[in-house]
Amino acid sequence: MELRLPSIPLNQTVELIHIDLPAEQAEPLMERGVLPGCRICPVRSSPSGDPIISVDGALLALRRETAACLCVRLLSASGVTSLQDAS
Amino acid sequence: MGEAHCEPDASRQGTLVLDDSGARPLVALIGPPNSGKTTLFNQLTGLRQKVANYPGVTVEKHVGRVSLDADRTVDLVDLPGVHGFSARSLDERVTRDVLEGRMTGLRAPDALVLIVDATRLESQLMLVEPVLELDLPTLLVLNMSDELASRGGRVSDAALVKHLGVEVARTDARDGVGLDAVRDFLAEVTRRDTAHGRRLTNVPRGTALPMLDAFAARRMRVREIVKEAGYVPPGASSVSERLDHIALHCFWGPLLFLAVVLLVFQSIFTWATPLIDGLDAMVSASGQWVGGALPDTWYRSLLVDGVWAGVGSVVVFLPQILILFLFLGVLEDSGYMARAAVIADRMMYRVGLQGRAFLPLLSGYACAVPAVLAARTVDDERDRLATIFVTPFMTCSARLPVYALLIAAFIPDESLLGPVLGLRAAVLLGLYGLGIIAAVGTAFLLKRTLLRAKPSSFLMELPPYRVPSPRSIALRLLDRSRVFLRRAGTIIFGVTIILWTLTQFPRSDAGAPPIDDSALGRMGQLIEPAIEPLGFDWRIGVGLVTSLAAREVIVGTLGTIYGVEDDSDDAVGLQEALRRDLTLGAAIGLLVFFVFALQCMSTVAVMRRETAGWKWAALQFTYMLLLAYVGAFVAVRIF
Repeated sequence: MELRLPSIPLNQTVELIHIDLPAEQAEPLMERGVLPGCRICPVRSSPSGDPIISVDGALLALRRETAACLCVRLLSASGVTSLQDAS
Repeated sequence: MGEAHCEPDASRQGTLVLDDSGARPLVALIGPPNSGKTTLFNQLTGLRQKVANYPGVTVEKHVGRVSLDADRTVDLVDLPGVHGFSARSLDERVTRDVLEGRMTGLRAPDALVLIVDATRLESQLMLVEPVLELDLPTLLVLNMSDELASRGGRVSDAALVKHLGVEVARTDARDGVGLDAVRDFLAEVTRRDTAHGRRLTNVPRGTALPMLDAFAARRMRVREIVKEAGYVPPGASSVSERLDHIALHCFWGPLLFLAVVLLVFQSIFTWATPLIDGLDAMVSASGQWVGGALPDTWYRSLLVDGVWAGVGSVVVFLPQILILFLFLGVLEDSGYMARAAVIADRMMYRVGLQGRAFLPLLSGYACAVPAVLAARTVDDERDRLATIFVTPFMTCSARLPVYALLIAAFIPDESLLGPVLGLRAAVLLGLYGLGIIAAVGTAFLLKRTLLRAKPSSFLMELPPYRVPSPRSIALRLLDRSRVFLRRAGTIIFGVTIILWTLTQFPRSDAGAPPIDDSALGRMGQLIEPAIEPLGFDWRIGVGLVTSLAAREVIVGTLGTIYGVEDDSDDAVGLQEALRRDLTLGAAIGLLVFFVFALQCMSTVAVMRRETAGWKWAALQFTYMLLLAYVGAFVAVRIF
């Protein structure tokens, strides 16, 4: 089953596996560190219901339409994979 | 979005000669947005910065001079904050062109200073690889390293030096800590004996790798380096988290947003008034003094009726503009503006714009010129075009003197809603509302026609909250004042003199002709048929023509025309004269005309430059003029 970011509850860290967006729209995300293999944690929801995520210690605000294109997976039960494994 | 403030006014057409300094090295300062780049720039250059303006290119940058000792100086160029060089946005294109030496009028840089926010090292270092590929001597500045330490993070400089092959310095640019290391690097550049930066990898630029793989590979290398350098990211900033809990709260967030917008407006209209009145009194007192000190000759009339009245009527708006920019500066530097953009995004998205357009549109209430420049932070090109296309509908402060004059002359000072709202205030609010409606309608229309595109995306980095630096804000206000006064001293000064001269010819033995027979009067009568359907006579027509230079000029123009005609040039005399010549409907038509029309050469000029051609500027001017004509035509028939 494929998970998308909007279905992840607040404060649960997940791993990004794929950005389902055309290159042009994916590029700004990637430049800010939102790359397959990275850890994403939705930390807050804006008043209009758009997600604010924490990635690499920085806060990023997205539209929920964009968030719906981020395919993620839950971290394994141990919760810890090394940084190298992550990508 | 934190970069908008450093952009100069487009009305500065002076070209700064930058190539006067073959011997002086040029160092480019680059970094991601909100890394403290402009703060470091201001600290290093102090007030010795100049604004370079490159004609024909849609670009402006700050170039400053750093004196290292008695005979060694370096030119430092401050580039817009970028995350990469993919040239998607105008800012990225500018940065790339400067770094690669392809910017007309600016030589290729001899060295680079890459500044990053040490508290977000991992994502910010994504920029390091494209920078190193330029193969120039590079200094990596880890800014805000005090915050990194205080929040429990750390990194080894030595390991970064080893793995990146660049020099590393730590600073806290805001407090001026660590600047000596940066100056040492600049001094080394003047000696031209620095070791060149080396490439991280052998992957050539413009590589054939698919983009995702290229990014992922870059990411891996950065991650490796950061790990080798023993980077421990800082703990979350609890202060920022608590503040965001309010600023982005589903109820308090929008309320705070509304309060901030209202505070900005209130400050423009209420707090600025005593300052404007004071300045106005000073201008007229000094004008009278000059008039009294001069013999009664033609140049006294030119100086007092022309120059003093014309230039003075504009200079008095300086306090208002400075207050607005003070607020914008505080909002940006504190980090709140990014939150405001997030809150505004959904609203803007509905009308075809996006959250980043909030700052330009708010700036538009002071002046469209810096607002159009601020739109560079809108990263989607179609969104940026739509934003700058509708920006001039925001009621800029140049419209205020026109509104004030006509409302005072035609709208009775009555109460509409008890003591809360007077009729005059209501009319003023209505004019502001009309501008917003026009902007929303136009944006809506544009995104369905010329700028039709798939829905754009919105991505906003939320920096930690920080206390703004008074010095940095003061520098910006100073810059603003210079720009504004220069405009008053050139465009408005020039128009006033030309107008006054046109009222004096053709001269007869009795001196100046009656105004109807003067060159100005005849020109006005020539265009009268075009504006007759709007209920305007030739005097208003002349005002409309001269206000093409800048809207507020119409007040001075009418003052000059009626002043020459009646010998009574005070404001009350002007109001009476207007009541005699205009019907109520025509006056409202004139107000509506000013809501819509793009009577501002500075805005047209900045539009042309920001869109790299006349197409958009011409379209915008024509569209707004048509809207103004139709609007006034309708208004004069309703009222």
